Amino acid sequence: MRRVTPETIAVVDLAVCDRCGLCLPLCPPESIHLESNILTVNRESCTGCEKCVGPCPVGALSMVAYA
Amino acid sequence: MPDVDVLVVGAGPAGSVAAWHAKQAAPELDVVLLERDRAVGAPVRCAEGVGDAGLREFANPDGANWTSRRISSVIFQAPDDTEVVLADCGLGWILDRTRFDAHLAAQAAATGVEVLVGAEATSMTRNGDDRWHVRVMERGNETVYQARVVIGADGVETMVGRWAGLDTRVPSRDMESCAQYVLQGIDFDPDAIYLQFSDAIAPGGYAWIFPKAVGVANVGLGLVALKTDGRNARQYLDAWVARRFPNGARTGYTVGGVIVHTTIKKTYTDGVMIAGDAAHMINPLSGGGINNAMKAGRLAGCTAAGAVREGDTSERRLSAYHKAWMDLLGEDHLKYYRIKQALEHVDDAFYNSLARTVNRIAPDKRTIGRVFTHALIRHPQLIPVAARFFV
Repeated sequence: MRRVTPETIAVVDLAVCDRCGLCLPLCPPESIHLESNILTVNRESCTGCEKCVGPCPVGALSMVAYA
Repeated sequence: MPDVDVLVVGAGPAGSVAAWHAKQAAPELDVVLLERDRAVGAPVRCAEGVGDAGLREFANPDGANWTSRRISSVIFQAPDDTEVVLADCGLGWILDRTRFDAHLAAQAAATGVEVLVGAEATSMTRNGDDRWHVRVMERGNETVYQARVVIGADGVETMVGRWAGLDTRVPSRDMESCAQYVLQGIDFDPDAIYLQFSDAIAPGGYAWIFPKAVGVANVGLGLVALKTDGRNARQYLDAWVARRFPNGARTGYTVGGVIVHTTIKKTYTDGVMIAGDAAHMINPLSGGGINNAMKAGRLAGCTAAGAVREGDTSERRLSAYHKAWMDLLGEDHLKYYRIKQALEHVDDAFYNSLARTVNRIAPDKRTIGRVFTHALIRHPQLIPVAARFFV
């Protein structure tokens, strides 16, 4: 899938993340994965839309510069 | 490579009931139920409330060790804490999900289902032989299962749906972000559940008190992030608990997402059905999903059994599951969703005013129908809500 390189992408703070999985269906390009109890964001497919950030019940997701 | 007829991913209420009913309907089939976590039922990500009638279709709560509390009334609380007790809100239960989920999985096992805990499906692909190949990690070892039918009951994450190419994404406005404490040593009516509606407390959702025992309750809230002031669900909950139960001891904590949408457009494809939270089968108005999940699981399990027996697990055959679900509850959810949308425009002043109006009705006559009628007379702004419900 082609995408415009975003200025920022989502990252997860695993020390805060509760592994509830809420963010997975919110991600339009389905870039968030939960496997072996570790949440990951695929930085190559994340479009920086931020839809996962606000709904996280514990604030574990935030945006950082894509670099 | 293990070859199974029906592989169920996720041993929550949808998955266990699906596996149980598939095996019960066709005992000659090999049915395997996978649970990613080390114990069925844990961690609990749920307020644990369930209606009596729906529950009894699957399990008898009388004297069962998997209930925490029998509930006989519902207390609505306006934003200003005015309480309204409704006369006709039916009986319900607060479950102990760790035991309840284990009970359902045990029912599945008792019918001959193989239940595997600590077994995580990590991907699946469709092969030319009409089988899904599902990779499963179990204690560090990967096993590839071949399955004629895969039932995805993997909750809000809904990876099976994603792997099968179904669209299980949800818009942000239809995701409730929830946080909950188990509070001990608090004062409330242990035979009632409490629901409080307020944009200041839980914007777009509600806060709840669900009794687990005298003095002990699940105290939580769900909100829609788009409507908040920037704080997350846990921060809203901390503020509410600090005001309502400053002396409660917090002995448990959980967070999670509740999808308050309508059933995904397509819950099936060749050799796959999706059930429960994974298919967005939650009542979008109440946020309740346990009974729905079990009813969907039963439909999926019975459909899988019939399809495997007939040697036809095609998309066309499995579409019977989707139709049965939509007839049973899916269509109702479309109506509830319209009510939810209408209520999004209601503000705290309206709820406060409605609560006072309703409390003028005699308690034994304070039914949902009468509340609705009074609301329409006293609060004409609700008429569009009623219109949308019945259109």
